[in-house]
Amino acid sequence: MKKTLLASTMVVAAALAGPVSAEALKIGLATAQTGGLAGYDGPVIEGLHIAVDEINAAGGINGKIMIELIEKDVRSDAAQTAIAVQELADEGVSVLVLPCDADPSLAAIGTVTTAQIPAISTCASSPTLPMIGGDYMFANFPGDNVQATVSAEWAWAQGHKSAYIIYSPDTQYTTMPLYFADVFSALGGTMMGQDTHTIGQQDFSAIATRIAALNPQPDVIMTSSYEPDFPSMLKALRAAGVTAQVIGSDGIDSPTTFSLGDVGEGVVFSTAGHATEGSPLADFNAKYEAVTGNASETVFNAVGYDLVVVVAEAVKAAGGSTDPVAIRDAMAELENVRGATSLITYKGTNGMPVREVTLIRVKNGARELVGQPSPTASLIPPARMQ
Amino acid sequence: MITSPRKHIIVSVTAIVLAVVVAAVLATVLGTASERVLTVFFISLIAVVGMGVYSGNSGILTFGHLSFMAIGAYAASLLTLPAQLKIATLPKLPEWLATTEMGLLPATLIAVLLTCAVALLIGLAIGKLEGSAAVISTLGLLIIVHGIAIGWRDVTRGSQTFFGIPREASLWVAAIGVIIALIVARLYRDSISGLRLRAGRENAIAASAVGVRIRRERLISFVLSAALMALSGALIAHFLGAISPKKFYFTDTFLLLAMLIVGGMTTVTGAITGAVTITIVIEVLRRFEGGFTLAGWDMPAIFGTTQIGIGLIILFAMFRKPDGLAGLKEWEERLFPGRPGTKAAPDIAQSAKAEPLTATGMTMQFGGLVAVNDVALTLNPGEITGLIGPNGSGKTTLMNMLSGVLVPTKGRFYQGTTELSGLVSHEIANRGIARTFQNIRLFDTLSVYQNVLVAALSTNGGKNAHGRAQAALTRMGVADHADEDAGTLSYGDQRRVEIARALACQPSLLFLDEPAAGMNRDETDNLTETLRALTRDLGLGILLVDHDLKLINQLCDRIAVLNEGHLIAEGTPQDIRNNPVVIEAYLGPNRQD
Repeated sequence: MKKTLLASTMVVAAALAGPVSAEALKIGLATAQTGGLAGYDGPVIEGLHIAVDEINAAGGINGKIMIELIEKDVRSDAAQTAIAVQELADEGVSVLVLPCDADPSLAAIGTVTTAQIPAISTCASSPTLPMIGGDYMFANFPGDNVQATVSAEWAWAQGHKSAYIIYSPDTQYTTMPLYFADVFSALGGTMMGQDTHTIGQQDFSAIATRIAALNPQPDVIMTSSYEPDFPSMLKALRAAGVTAQVIGSDGIDSPTTFSLGDVGEGVVFSTAGHATEGSPLADFNAKYEAVTGNASETVFNAVGYDLVVVVAEAVKAAGGSTDPVAIRDAMAELENVRGATSLITYKGTNGMPVREVTLIRVKNGARELVGQPSPTASLIPPARMQ
Repeated sequence: MITSPRKHIIVSVTAIVLAVVVAAVLATVLGTASERVLTVFFISLIAVVGMGVYSGNSGILTFGHLSFMAIGAYAASLLTLPAQLKIATLPKLPEWLATTEMGLLPATLIAVLLTCAVALLIGLAIGKLEGSAAVISTLGLLIIVHGIAIGWRDVTRGSQTFFGIPREASLWVAAIGVIIALIVARLYRDSISGLRLRAGRENAIAASAVGVRIRRERLISFVLSAALMALSGALIAHFLGAISPKKFYFTDTFLLLAMLIVGGMTTVTGAITGAVTITIVIEVLRRFEGGFTLAGWDMPAIFGTTQIGIGLIILFAMFRKPDGLAGLKEWEERLFPGRPGTKAAPDIAQSAKAEPLTATGMTMQFGGLVAVNDVALTLNPGEITGLIGPNGSGKTTLMNMLSGVLVPTKGRFYQGTTELSGLVSHEIANRGIARTFQNIRLFDTLSVYQNVLVAALSTNGGKNAHGRAQAALTRMGVADHADEDAGTLSYGDQRRVEIARALACQPSLLFLDEPAAGMNRDETDNLTETLRALTRDLGLGILLVDHDLKLINQLCDRIAVLNEGHLIAEGTPQDIRNNPVVIEAYLGPNRQD
């Protein structure tokens, strides 16, 4: 009896501790599997799993370092993230993955910095995150300021001379048009004005009337609002007779945008990638379908895949080391890593990666690739703290 | 100030300090991750007991208390945030605030005081509400404060993360916080205010009738609980280093409420039990969520197990332990029953206000129904007046008006020359008029002694309350039951305790509404003797409503007869027995005497 008890205790202990191997890279996931952030973290983690399985099936990084995932659900809560990250640090992980939102990621900073473990947010796009987070905090998504630079440069190149922005100060993300205005002005464009709304406002008739009354009309209207605000805003603008080019951001990269009919036609938005034939993203999508049996519905699957690609490259660059500090140093110097969505560069940034931004136009209710330009580095506005 | 035995308080406080210190030391030994789990647990526990101070003692469930946590968190953070960072991230702050930078302790104190001020205003506004309206109003409070936190961007950064808060809330800081919170909550429960509030929770009308000002006690507990929530908020902000309004919204409200409800709202033991139970369940389940291997079986990762677990515990608690796992008593109350013996009980002192009560033109109209119509009545000290009449003749209504439970539509009544009409029930209790109720209204979960003590504490300025309570119990022959819960007594004993509670108010006039209902003949005879002794020894005036005509005839010096709201006769029992109007209207043709 005693023996059984001891044996079962050991089994449980082993189950809790996970298999230990000499050549293993432990990645600790303190992400939201449940709660409000699960919708954002979920697709990224799915793609991340595909990458890990693929690398392990091929014998690990450099053919010998197997990746081991330790997953903890932080239930979209900041306090739980702080706890989970500490536990993962105690378990000796080499890399941490944090939720898609600044709150929990920032709550984990204390531990991340003390334990000196590089941490990557699944998909947070606020450029302030690595700035506040310090040397060990990395992002995994084109920053808001980078996306805005790409769309502003594109608009200017199209010959648009004047612009109007509509944004919501409710979140960092929805203030992306302020970056757009900075870049567009720097290029020589004229900002004709701006309007703000609250998230979930739905009624945009007042704003639409104000813009319709402008003379001359602005060439471009830029916003980073998303559902349900964006469709209402667009309908209100078109109903008021505003015909300006509307530019959006990755928040509207959803099926709704393509099903708006005539109203949606011609809208251009920036996003993380586009699967042209033979592109790495198309390869990934094929892989995703082979593994899961379903077509990938969001580019965030590929974003998760890229996260592991970046980590694996950093390990290789660190000479196969699994030491967290070595990985961080190597990661900060990565340049032109080929991910599924883009070439990814951390060198010369504060942790906010330089990635290609894809511009998509809605045409006949379908996706048309406008281009995948890289932003001009000198034009990218600095992150705003407010 | 404290109404419970000193032993309870000493044992409880010692245990609180010991348990917290031992837990903190253990966590320190186990490592940083355990320290963090315990720190979050301590801070959550502060919030749970904070909600318990209000909800537990007042019986009004609150959904809104996380708004006080938010106010405390933001206020304290604004004070501790490094000035440089404040200027960079919150450029529109007023200059005096932008340049202020202080330590965690003064910042927390200021945040707590500010929150108290806010809670005082809110409490004054929503304190008028009763029942479900009071509960729903707290929901409104949560939504409004959340809205303000999002909207007031210049100060809170809106729904964006408020970051850069110094991480100064270490395990030991949280430990000190939780010790303070637990002791405050424990002391408040058995403070005079806490006891009165619990009486009001058990039965608001009865509490008011023995002099308790429920709204004032509610307000005190509301402000005190808000202070504890603010402490919790300040600490969680300084533990996380980054907060946003959604941290203080529905998700956390329900988690903390679940802890309180599962453990038991009414005790500090319950708050601790609930917080510990739910935390342990979460900590165990979340370790298995990520998938594990047991005896060769690979369990897949099933995220969401913890939420399901919490849901199941709540269901279990609601089905099997509706009062919570810890029930209605503190652990030390179960372990060391008893109370300080004020055995040498002097008899009840005679009330100074031995003046007659004169009522004229008393009228009560409920919509189209005139329940009492233009009744005049005089009640004299030392005299037992019977009030009889068929069912629905207005006896209880008249008594309710004279005791301030109902406001008369018309009519006035005076004690000597002092007008009492217009006063509310607790004020009338303080003028020496005490009463019992037709359907017994005891404070069921309080002990018999506490039932009587509340009355003594809330009248006559609470002077010699213990002595008065003990004397009243002895007088009514229920002193042996003093430690039992009032709700567990036999019917007859409950009636006697209710009279004892009224006596503890040191009244000059006692209203008894069907005191003999449900008693057998022996008990009734016994009661007759007791009541007679009260008038004889103390000079007490009694107004007695009963259907037991034998009792009325034996006991009363004078009888007033009501019929359909009118006073149809008044006189000695002899007069009444022979009054043809009474015989016709009330006793009927088959009069048997």
